[in-house]
Amino acid sequence: MVEINLQGIVVIVGNYGSGKTEVSINLAVNKKRSGVEVQIADLDLVNPYFRTREARSQLSEIGINMALPPEEYLQADLPILSPVVAGLIKNPVELTIIDAGGDDAGATVLASLADAFKGKSFHMLQVVNPLRPFTQTVKGCLKMRSEIETAAKMTINGIIGNANLIDETSPEDIYSGYEFVKLLSQESGLDLKFITVSSQIFHEIDISRISCPVLKIERQLVPPWKKAVELK
Amino acid sequence: MGKVLMKGNEAIGEAAIRAGCLNYFAYPITPQSEVAEYLSRRMPEVGGVFLQGESEVAVSYMIFGAAAAGARVFTTSSSPGISLMSEGVSYITAAQCPAVFVNIMRGGPGLGGILPSQADYLQATKGIGHGGCRLLVMAPAGVQEAVEMVMMAFPLAEKYRNPVIILGDGLIGQMMEPVEFPDSLGSEPSNKDDWATTGMDTRKSTKRNLVRSLFLDPKQLNENNLVLKAKYERMKEEEIRYEKYNTDSDYKVLIVSYGTMSRVCKTAIDQLKEEGLEVGLIRPQTLFPFPEIAVRKTAEKDSCKAVISIEMSMGQMVEDVQMSIQGKLPVSWYGKCGGDIPTPEEVIDAVKGLNV
Repeated sequence: MVEINLQGIVVIVGNYGSGKTEVSINLAVNKKRSGVEVQIADLDLVNPYFRTREARSQLSEIGINMALPPEEYLQADLPILSPVVAGLIKNPVELTIIDAGGDDAGATVLASLADAFKGKSFHMLQVVNPLRPFTQTVKGCLKMRSEIETAAKMTINGIIGNANLIDETSPEDIYSGYEFVKLLSQESGLDLKFITVSSQIFHEIDISRISCPVLKIERQLVPPWKKAVELK
Repeated sequence: MGKVLMKGNEAIGEAAIRAGCLNYFAYPITPQSEVAEYLSRRMPEVGGVFLQGESEVAVSYMIFGAAAAGARVFTTSSSPGISLMSEGVSYITAAQCPAVFVNIMRGGPGLGGILPSQADYLQATKGIGHGGCRLLVMAPAGVQEAVEMVMMAFPLAEKYRNPVIILGDGLIGQMMEPVEFPDSLGSEPSNKDDWATTGMDTRKSTKRNLVRSLFLDPKQLNENNLVLKAKYERMKEEEIRYEKYNTDSDYKVLIVSYGTMSRVCKTAIDQLKEEGLEVGLIRPQTLFPFPEIAVRKTAEKDSCKAVISIEMSMGQMVEDVQMSIQGKLPVSWYGKCGGDIPTPEEVIDAVKGLNV
């Protein structure tokens, strides 16, 4: 299987519910396991549900450093940007993941970090789940791309394919999702960095059919009646 | 069309469109604002209307106006917003117009919190508006069921010429699950000539439709209220819906729980089964009418020694459960009411604490 080749600052953007946070967490875990120093910042100021912070105890146990707002504001329906985030961007480690909020609204906060980003090179990757509304067509994905870029005042330079129906994802969804992001990559000229496959169905996937790197997703953001996959 | 992955709020918006509702008036409030966001994109695509009112009070009268004109119409809001709509809801009910309301609840009272809560059970089932008006209340436990209930709500509202409300907790609005949409419904109420003020010419009718809630003559007011009462009684006959879980076993405890809370209870029941303690669940899908007889009959099983109402509220459903049980078994409560969702482990402890 091809290794995911990413280092430095990686900004994860995409539409609401595209899977940015699940991808960010699992990318962090994947890289940490291969010995890379990883930091992750939760920049989702828009939506207080299902954010990176949900997985914080598991992540800190395996030694991933997280930047979060102060504890007392964790549940606030308010946009709180910790000054720590600018610090992370100015002094990145081997891999610094910035998990931005959804849509253009969520990406707006990136523009306010322009000073910190000045002179830095970074990846800005758009997570795409073609099984979500508004990103089921190449046109829809490109519209989202341009809205996010306008709001963030930054340029997207790669794609992450995250085709899934959570627990009901079939191998066919993975293959057709892969074909979709390949097409998106051709039409947009953006690099396809990797696609994701849930650990639940990973063993059913013929990896030789996929020529880009694959990130195995060990699901962390689960409803309270389900258990998150244990990270070791 | 295959399955898509949708947030509850998005799916509720799409379900309304599929139900032929092309009129959506609303005012944003967390945790349901994504319905407005979704429909602000989708309504123009299907030739529908989304209009943001200047307040929830205004919205409730926009709903009244559209319903009076025979259009399928709905709104979504959350607790304090529903309180503001309550005057309009009462007027719509008195005037016997159909409309659909969705309340993705906050924790309350007051401004409350935005995390999952079931704080508006009493408001929805017993106090949604002044004058003793009642709404058919449905409570989904997942995104797929929210879709189905929204699509059922419009024909039901028209059947009774009475508003229907969908009561969801924050998880219903915020979580994502795969959904499939049933076949679309037509876009006009088939019986709208019975009430809609569309002009006698257009209806080719000699009967004048008058939409009103003012009845100066006490006999007329009494008559109108008895018509409403008869509708509530008919709902009790025809619309009660519920689901049972693990009730084939010899359960010692019966849990009554609705919405996403019931899914935590199911996980707890599965774990308790492994430990050798059988527990049954009855999940009301309609909260008004409440499945009174079903709850009583399910609790009457010889093995059942206690009943517990598990809710994300201070125990608002307990009285309905007690009324159903009629004093035959002790009824207790477990829950949280601040936005934290009880975990399966906490539910297990609560059930074990009954010492049956």
